[in-house]
Amino acid sequence: MNLKQLRSQLNSPWPVLDMHVHPLDCFGLHGVSSVKEDVRFLTESAHRAGVTKMCLFSLYRTCPREPSVAECRMANDYALAMQDMAADIFLPFCYVNPMYPQEAVTEIDRCVGKKRMYGIKLWVARRATDPGLSPILEKAVELDVPVLQHAWIKTTGNLPGESFPSDVADLANRHPQARIIMAHLNGIGLRGLEDIADSPNISVDTSGGDAESGTVETAVKTLGAKRVVFGSDAPIRHFSGQLAKVLATDLPETVKQDILWNNAAQLLPKWSR
Amino acid sequence: MIIDFCAFIGNWPTYPVSGDPEVVQDTLSNYGVSQILVSSLESAWCRNPHRCNDLVYRAAETLADIWPVPILDPTIATWKSALHQARTFVPELHPQKRVHLVRLLPTYSPYDLSQADELLKSLVEAKLGVIIQTRLEDPRRQHPLAQVPDLPAGEVAAVAEQYPALKVIIGGTRTGEIRNLQRQLMDQPNLYADISQVDGLDVIKVLVNDGLVDKLLFGSHIPIFTPHAAIARVVCDLDDGTPNAVAAISKIFSGNAGRILD
Repeated sequence: MNLKQLRSQLNSPWPVLDMHVHPLDCFGLHGVSSVKEDVRFLTESAHRAGVTKMCLFSLYRTCPREPSVAECRMANDYALAMQDMAADIFLPFCYVNPMYPQEAVTEIDRCVGKKRMYGIKLWVARRATDPGLSPILEKAVELDVPVLQHAWIKTTGNLPGESFPSDVADLANRHPQARIIMAHLNGIGLRGLEDIADSPNISVDTSGGDAESGTVETAVKTLGAKRVVFGSDAPIRHFSGQLAKVLATDLPETVKQDILWNNAAQLLPKWSR
Repeated sequence: MIIDFCAFIGNWPTYPVSGDPEVVQDTLSNYGVSQILVSSLESAWCRNPHRCNDLVYRAAETLADIWPVPILDPTIATWKSALHQARTFVPELHPQKRVHLVRLLPTYSPYDLSQADELLKSLVEAKLGVIIQTRLEDPRRQHPLAQVPDLPAGEVAAVAEQYPALKVIIGGTRTGEIRNLQRQLMDQPNLYADISQVDGLDVIKVLVNDGLVDKLLFGSHIPIFTPHAAIARVVCDLDDGTPNAVAAISKIFSGNAGRILD
């Protein structure tokens, strides 16, 4: 097998919509000094891996676990600036902190209502059971955008505000009209999948963790093929290495296409189409 | 040709994997991996890891691409017998596939590397190299009653410094650890790192730009990981069609291995 043959075997034959990407300003091995440089590194790497579009969340450059309202606003401005430079590639999500519910709603109005961001990102400031999330979810339903909620089950211990999958299931049950994408399939693992199995308004993204064999197949078996979306968690992770989780499976090609594009496209608002 | 320095067969207790030797060989063969340096995954949790080497030897006897990498444990009283078995193993059908390397799992036994001194000296005498595994599974994903911390890669580098005649491979370490050891990797000709657990945007490109192309060995971590991931990281990062890129890929996939398996 020569390199060309190998290369063709590794690439996705279909377009890829990556549900989970951060700027290099937040994470990664490349130090960047400008938005332009951030866009260049990310888009070049994505292009090499065959990633067509990316949902983008800035967590502010120092990634504080409990960001201030101003830090969330600056993070969102950064993501919007990246979108301005590559509008056909980046689909920015609005990052908010449920510690400040009303300010979060105001920021969502600014970023989603006015600037047409494509969703809302929640990280580790408060667990998904926190009542501070309710106004945010209500606003997401009103604006018809998805909410991407970080989750993990860490043997070494979750952070105080870090959601477990069961917390996300609780959130989904409290807001049945919301479209929730729970991040980090490999972080929530075999137990976490069962926690969300009975919550039809939760999809899981494949991001985070290593490219463990069999995880995506298990997710499809547990949740059904329509509730799994591809996410890389780049630049913490490598686009191609994460794509392998889907491409290397023996799932039918139609299911792979759903995971790599169609399912995510269904969750995004109408202005993404 | 691709040589895999981080492959296993057998089962893993907390997570279902396809560790049948034939499946491992067939899966890797699909990606052009034709020399698979295999250890037993089950050795990690067996109280006598040597008992699981038989599975590896049997696979090497029958499967053309499987090369044995027995796991040795210096805290097992009979480790010298296990070493003798490694030194004298010659597969009947594939006599060229003698043992070139052994693998240590110090964090699973567990033992401190200082307890491996006599074993490491014996490896030098036997002209065998060693892979010292720093991680098998992300500690965040382990069973709560079976938590195994990573071995700091610096401890492996110290072994290479202490035994300059011993070829030492840091097994399964992470990107940051390799970058932190850049100077030692470049200065110590007997020290290498496999890339089975490195990750991050452009990670292989970054490591090559760090000057480490001659010190990286391909590793898939099959069957826990899909080998597609590790292969894709190399090809996607480096394959820009230039002769330099082809040369770099070739070094990581097999060229550097020549200095270890000679």
